[in-house]
Amino acid sequence: MSALRRIIHDVRSLKLGNATRYEQHQLVVGQDQVAALFADPALASVRVHTAVPGDRVRIIAPLDVVEPRSKGPGGGVFPGWIARVNRKRGGDTHVLRGAAVLAAGYLPRNQEGLIDMSGPAAERSPFGQTHNVVIEFDRADDASWQEAEVALRRGLLALAVHLADAAVDATPDAIEELAPPHRAGTSTGGLPRVGAITNLQTQGAFKDVFVYGRSMAGSLPTLFDPAEIEDGAVVSGQYGHPALRNPTYLHQNHPVIAELRARDGQDLCFAGVVLCPEPVQQADKELVSTHAAWLCRTAGFDAAIVTKEGAGNADNDLMLKVDALEADGLTAVALYAELSGADGTGPPLVAGPRRGAVVSTGNYDQRVKLPAVERAFGGTRLRIADAEATAAVEVPTAAILCALSPLGAGRLTCRSEQQLGATA
Amino acid sequence: MRIVHYVNQFYAGLGGEEAAGSGPRVLDGTVGPGRLLAQLLGDAHQIVATIVCGDDYAASTDAAAAELLEMTRDAGAELLVAGPAFGSGRYGLACARLVAAAQAAGLPALAAMHPDNPGLTEAGAAPVVAAGATSRQMRPTLQTVAAAIEKLATGATLTVADGRVARAARTGRLVEQRAAARAVELVLRRLAGERDLTEVPIGGFDVVAPSAPVEAAASATIALVTEGAVVPAGNPDRLESARATRWLRYPIEGIDSLASGEWESVDGGFATTAANADPNRVLPLDAARTLEREGTIGRLHNEFLVTVGNGTPVATARRFGVEWAAELRKAGVQAAILTAT
Repeated sequence: MSALRRIIHDVRSLKLGNATRYEQHQLVVGQDQVAALFADPALASVRVHTAVPGDRVRIIAPLDVVEPRSKGPGGGVFPGWIARVNRKRGGDTHVLRGAAVLAAGYLPRNQEGLIDMSGPAAERSPFGQTHNVVIEFDRADDASWQEAEVALRRGLLALAVHLADAAVDATPDAIEELAPPHRAGTSTGGLPRVGAITNLQTQGAFKDVFVYGRSMAGSLPTLFDPAEIEDGAVVSGQYGHPALRNPTYLHQNHPVIAELRARDGQDLCFAGVVLCPEPVQQADKELVSTHAAWLCRTAGFDAAIVTKEGAGNADNDLMLKVDALEADGLTAVALYAELSGADGTGPPLVAGPRRGAVVSTGNYDQRVKLPAVERAFGGTRLRIADAEATAAVEVPTAAILCALSPLGAGRLTCRSEQQLGATA
Repeated sequence: MRIVHYVNQFYAGLGGEEAAGSGPRVLDGTVGPGRLLAQLLGDAHQIVATIVCGDDYAASTDAAAAELLEMTRDAGAELLVAGPAFGSGRYGLACARLVAAAQAAGLPALAAMHPDNPGLTEAGAAPVVAAGATSRQMRPTLQTVAAAIEKLATGATLTVADGRVARAARTGRLVEQRAAARAVELVLRRLAGERDLTEVPIGGFDVVAPSAPVEAAASATIALVTEGAVVPAGNPDRLESARATRWLRYPIEGIDSLASGEWESVDGGFATTAANADPNRVLPLDAARTLEREGTIGRLHNEFLVTVGNGTPVATARRFGVEWAAELRKAGVQAAILTAT
């Protein structure tokens, strides 16, 4: 497996302009260049906006979010979409840290969510804290929604590369070395070998995740090079539950992989990553779970952190894996958002493991009051609150993009508290 | 204190399931478990009347709690005591709704049920004390209830020490470490020997024992129910596409098949294209009508019940289940086909 260097360029301000450029931590987005990247028969028009931390701006119905990255003139990011797969790797990836590109607007299977750039929702979404280039779009009259979605996805990936290309010659703010995982059988000096199992949602149109440009549906679990994930081998086309979504950005910045790397060589050995589909049939779920456990054991994992995308179906995949791992003698921890009702008094788990442990990423149903904003992108109404897009609203945490991040990007958790003056 | 006691048809001796549809009525003095409760209370407090209602009626009639509360007031109650409902869902729901209505109207009220009873979340601001899972725990449960009544009579508030069911809320909050870092921490601590550590308690799932098969399907009334969010096109009653707070009913009398364009699924949890091309594939009305014509089933119930099963909290889903069971029993349905998506 390959080593990788991330060449970090911090983005601290963002504006629209005539030509794309990056200097002194400011990213200028060339509007005509953006329009050219989204030129596709399936899209009638696109509009580009900026939304930065602190703005009184709301983004309605966000779709995928991508971090700008580039490997320079030779290309190489987003293999299967923009770059060839199985190319000779270049080791350096330029990252516009603090920037994100995203599309927003109606799509049939897009469960409506939101991002606020200020207030309590901004604290709860990773994308309330990034400098966002927001793409609004109109579908061409004679195009299907599926065609429009593919055009948007390709456009976002191309835009992400285009923006990061502008920073390739800039002086980096930091250089981060990413060592490959430790191979099975190598000495760990007594440290436990801990890996990540990442379930990818695979439920058909608009609920699919792509690995090297192909749906993961129908695949068996596979050991995967985390450097390839860094370079965009995993791309999302999944628009279910907004708070429980894993946009491309979070695969590029996989939180579990990052945390395992952060402690690699100190109190654990980073053992690797296994990607799995989330099939919809019980027999397939059991097969995938059993196979994933076997793969982890064969790859020498002592423990695994298991993540999912979505809910319901996905909860069962998560819990079957935890059970399969623990039954095989591995230590397993799952990340899970609780569903204990608006007041938090209901049972937190819908499906649960017989053993193992679960980390909470917050309560799906907990209400959050959001103040009014000055401007909204992506729509004029917030349908879940039946309100103007800019209005002060109360929404469940479930509506805030990635607020309950199944990949562990968020800082929400839940604790038990006695209620009703029960101890008074 | 003048106490009015609420019990269901079974504990009032009116009958079992066959009497579950009976409406509210008032009986003088004590009935069933009220007799033992009166003994335990001694002379300080009197059970002046017992209010009775069938479980199906109480759990499936919107106005039931208001009707029962009015009777309670007319009987001159200073305190309303409901149950114990033990683990019984419909009875628990009825007790919880009644004490919630009473407490909200300013009449002190107390219910007793098992902490896992699906009705618990409906008790509002009224205190609930823990009952055993079944009536085999009648005596110790009524001892708890009697002691709670003594305490309420002094004007004090019940606490967990009195057997009050503390609804432990799991409250969301932002913490310093993100979830991925906490997961690594938890893995390392578990590897180091703290095997039982977890942020979310695991286990505690219901196991539902299936009912016996329908004896004679050819003479049975069968209902179709679904959590697949099938509604008339345009969704006139605004069923949610996720996080349902309610369920709906639609008549199917005289309809042989759900026509595309007239019915649709508004479920936000799956791709509805195929469902909307043929809504019968989510709610199999066409097939059920065929079975009805062929005489394989006796009769199809004249309406279907529907909600959306997408991100529904377990507590809400359990309540819907109890309400549907009561609804279908009241309507004389012997079996239901529940389609899930």
